[in-house]
Formats: sequence, C-alpha cells, structure tokens
Amino acid sequence: MDPIIQTKNLVHEYKGGVQALKGVDVSILPNDLISIIGQNGSGKTTLVRHFNGLLKPTEGSVVIDGEETTTKSVGYLSQKVGYVFQNPNHQIFSSTVMDELKVGPKNFKFSEEKTKERIEYVVNLLNLGKILDKHPMTLDYTRKKLVTIASVLAYAPKVMILDEPTGGLDEDGRRLLRKILSLLHEQGNTVVMISHDMDFVAENTDRVIVMAEGKVLLDSQIANVFSETEILEKAWIEPPQITLLGLDVDPEKRIFLSVGDFVSHYKNRSSQKII
Amino acid sequence: MGTPIIEFKNFSYYYPNTEEPAIKQIHATIEEGDFVGLIGPNKAGKSTACLSMIGIAPHILGGDWMGDVVVNHETIQSSNVSDFTKIVGVVFQDAESQFTQETVEDEIAFAMCNMGFERSEMIKRVNEVAISCNLTEFLERSPFQLSGGQQQRLAVACLLALRPKVIILDESTSQLDPKGRDEVFKLVKELHRQGRTIIMVDHNIEKMAEYTTKLMVFFEGELKLYGPTSEILQQKELLNDYHIRLPQVTDAAYGLKETYQFTKLPINLEEASRTFKEYRGQENGSNYSNQESCP
Ligand SMILES: Nc1ncnc2c1ncn2[C@@H]1O[C@H](COP(=O)(O)OP(=O)(O)OP(=O)(O)O)[C@@H](O)[C@H]1O
Ligand SMILES: [Mg+2]
Repeated sequence: MDPIIQTKNLVHEYKGGVQALKGVDVSILPNDLISIIGQNGSGKTTLVRHFNGLLKPTEGSVVIDGEETTTKSVGYLSQKVGYVFQNPNHQIFSSTVMDELKVGPKNFKFSEEKTKERIEYVVNLLNLGKILDKHPMTLDYTRKKLVTIASVLAYAPKVMILDEPTGGLDEDGRRLLRKILSLLHEQGNTVVMISHDMDFVAENTDRVIVMAEGKVLLDSQIANVFSETEILEKAWIEPPQITLLGLDVDPEKRIFLSVGDFVSHYKNRSSQKII
Repeated sequence: MGTPIIEFKNFSYYYPNTEEPAIKQIHATIEEGDFVGLIGPNKAGKSTACLSMIGIAPHILGGDWMGDVVVNHETIQSSNVSDFTKIVGVVFQDAESQFTQETVEDEIAFAMCNMGFERSEMIKRVNEVAISCNLTEFLERSPFQLSGGQQQRLAVACLLALRPKVIILDESTSQLDPKGRDEVFKLVKELHRQGRTIIMVDHNIEKMAEYTTKLMVFFEGELKLYGPTSEILQQKELLNDYHIRLPQVTDAAYGLKETYQFTKLPINLEEASRTFKEYRGQENGSNYSNQESCP
C-alpha cells in the first residue's frame, strides 16, 4: 500500500536558527492509528504541521497522498489532512461555536444538506448542543479543545491529526476521545495523535513514533515500545504505571498495556494454581 | 491540628449573570504545610475553588457569593487581590495567555519587578528557577517561541520566583512530557518539604496519589470528599459515581482484591510492587513455583 504521508530527510529550521527537525523519515499508511510521543520541544508539533502544509520543509520532502507539499496550499492540503491545534486559542476564530463548526464545510464547498448532516453528527458526538450559540473564546480550555476537534471532524478529512488532545481532559472527555478515535479508525481514516498521556497511548493506538531532539528514535508497534528502557529514557517517557508494575513483579516481565490485561492475566494464573 | 491557612466557610460562588452557583456550600480548612490535590471532572468546581483562594473570585470576576473564604486570617470583605497575591501564587493551564514580555528572562522577572524586588535578588532568583524548571537555554528567547510544554514550565518558573507561601497549580502540567511532569511534582514536593502549602489540580491521578497528602473530591460544584489521599482512594465505587478513576495500580489491586485477599489497596507503584511481591512470596512455597519449573 502507498503511504498517505511520507517524509524524507525532513529538516526544519525556524527563523532565528532553531533546528527543530534534523532529518526525519516517517511513512504513514492509510488507516494507521499512530501516536507520536517524546519530550517537550522534541519536534512533534513541528513535524505534524508539515502534514497539512502549515510549515514547509527547509530541506527534504513531505509527500501527502502522492503530492509534494511544497507546491500545494494549506487550504488544499487541509481538506485531506485535518489538524487540531495543540493550543485551541490558535485555531478558533469565529464568534459562535456554530460558526466555528461551519468553517470547514463552507471552505470546502459542501452542499447545504451535507453541511447540516455533518454538523448534526459532530454536535451529537461531542455533545455540543447546549453551547452552539456561545462565543468559543468564553469557554473553558477543555470545551474549546472539544470544539476544535469537532470543527475539524465536521469536514471529514481522510487524515486526522490531533496535537495533544488529552491535555486537561477528564475521564468523561477521555472516554469520548477514545470513541472518536475508534470511530475514525473503523471508518477507514488515518489518525495521528500527539500525546504525553502514556495510558491513553497504550490503550488507544497501534503504532508509536518516539521523538527526541528533532529525530525519530523509534517507530514500532505499541507492544514493543515500553520495554525499550534506554530509548524511553532519552525521550523523557515514562511507561504507564501498570506497565511498570508488570515489569517489576511479573516473573516473565510481560508488557501489560492496560489494567484489564493485568487483572485478567493474574486472575487466570491464580485459578490455575487452585487446579 | 495545624494552623489553618485557607478556610472555606459555607462558601458558594456565582459567576456574573448565572443563577446556579459554580461551587456550593464549601466548608473545609486547608492547613499550613498541607499538600492538597483537587480532583473531579471538568466543570466540577476545582478551578473556581482555586480562583476563590486567591480572591480573583469575586474581587476581579465580580459575581455573588455567600459564606466566606478566609486566607491567612483575611476575610473576603477585609481583603483585596493584592493582599492575597502576597502569600498565594497560582499557575493556570493556559500558560501562554499570561505572557507579556519579550524574553523568557524578562517574563520571569516581570512579576518580581512589579512587587519591587531589588535587582540583584531578581537576577539571583531568575537563575535559580531557570535551573529548577529546565529553562536555562531559552532565557533570551520569546515566550511565544517555546513549545507548549516549555511554556508551561515557564509559567511555573514565574510563580516559583516569587516564593509564595501557598502555591496553587491548576492543571499546569497537562502538556508536560511524563518526566517533565514528574519533575514539576518533585519540585513542588521539595517546596512542600520546606514547609509551603501546595494546592494542585491535575487529572493525572497516578501523580496525585503519589505526591499529595490530602485529596478534595469535587462533583457538580460540591465538595464531596476531603481526607488523607490513601483513604480517599480506597473508595472505588464512590469515586466512580463522581467520574474519577483510580490510579492504575490501585485499580489493578481492586480487580484482584478477592483473588488475592487484599485488605488495603496500594496507591502508588512502590506500595503495589511490595504488595504483589509479598503475595508471590507466599505463593512460592506452594505448588505455584513447582508449576513454573515444570516444562
Ligand atoms: N515559532 C517558533 N520559533 C522558534 N522556535 C520554535 C518555535 N516553535 C517551536 N520552536 C522550537 O522548536 C523545537 C521543537 O518544538 P515543537 O513545538 O515542535 O516541540 P513539541 O515536541 O511539539 O513539544 P511539546 O511537547 O512541548 O509541545 C523546540 O526547541 C521549540 O523551542
Ligand atoms: Mg507540541
């Protein structure tokens, strides 16, 4: 299968000389469900901002769905690759939540009917019915974040990039996000999420890209990531608490990715013992 | 009993133009030297409680209130925000919107400058907090050219430079990488050890369990539970009702409670490792170890 996103030797230097990416090669396939993790300032946001053309390479190349980004506008690329900003304040610019949700469908010339259908869908999914008339900037941070997710979902891009969607979300919010990720995945979309929340990463994504200092240190299936202690150390990552517990107490040093895995494993063992 | 530093006295607060109070009838005392975690879902009232502890609600936000919040012996009536800010410092989740200066260094110095610190003292403190918050390489850079997590560290640094007696962190680690988050908690723990009072809102229940000494559970504007962290976290069903999950290791022990006959749930990794190993120790004498050596 051809990758939907591919970077080759991608280098990005900000004005003023900070080199945020130092030669990154990643290849993302359609319907991948990927997390990008790594320390603050390692270049995660800089990397994904290349995927919809918000940033252009200083060196190297970024190819989206077969096309080099250098020759394409952000508007054109965004229709394929939706990006939910890390900081919702940078994304929101309408004066009501409803208008914010309409921006994408309008830009991409959706029919009135389709616009209505999409908006209804996201309003229900994210439970925004009560705040449609509010000014998005008056909402608390978490609500703003949900509005920005909804406004990208509204125009149904093939690829969805979420930059730290879990930051500040409570349990209900996380459950909602989990549902959105799995729906997107089932519907065949490609999802790339940046997160510092290792529990969430472990339970909700298949593949992980680990970054440190502008480079990719590891690109692997989730089950293999948390045993790479040295790499994680370099990338300032701590595995989920349940994984650490497993590594400490399990005689075979199994990698547990969720509390559920751990509990069912030990329940079974103890029933074996009774036999 | 220690010395009370913040006392909520049947306090309710209404944001301007609202009919429902955001927090209702809060009655609780935070003592000097406490490390209190505030947990609960979004909109449960945690941030409003924080705003009331520094007088922003009602002094800046307006709105109505009933009851009282007494901070260091000053009531709402007898005080204004600048009285509060002398002893209480706060950092919010949205770090970037508080920055006003052109460089990171000036940003840290800014609040001290406003409070009339001497230049030499300011320089000393800027350097100190830049080291402890891992910002030394960014001092000349604009706060707006930092990554999200670096901005949060800067906001924490600005607060620490003032060395307030009471430190409030309202979701100010939400964008930090796991080690960076742990470092902020460690830093705060050290300040706690030095006798400062810490109040922290954070959705990372594992860190809250590891570091705080007391927890306040908020739900729908009410303070539902308040007590020692280890006791609060034993109550899975109740916390579930308030949409709060347990730390992963606590939840795992809960799931295996019957199987392993646990009487008290561990709340951090160290306790959990010990608990599970002790169990394995007992097991090793039995047929379990034989089973493992069998092919
Ligand atoms: N506008 C900018 N101008 C100059 N340098 C920048 C700018 N934005 C980010 N940087 C720098 O580029 C590097 C990578 O930043 P980036 O935002 O991509 O990191 P990140 O991995 O997303 O971090 P975080 O987890 O904190 O969000 C950092 O050293 C950062 O300080
Ligand atoms: Mg980022």
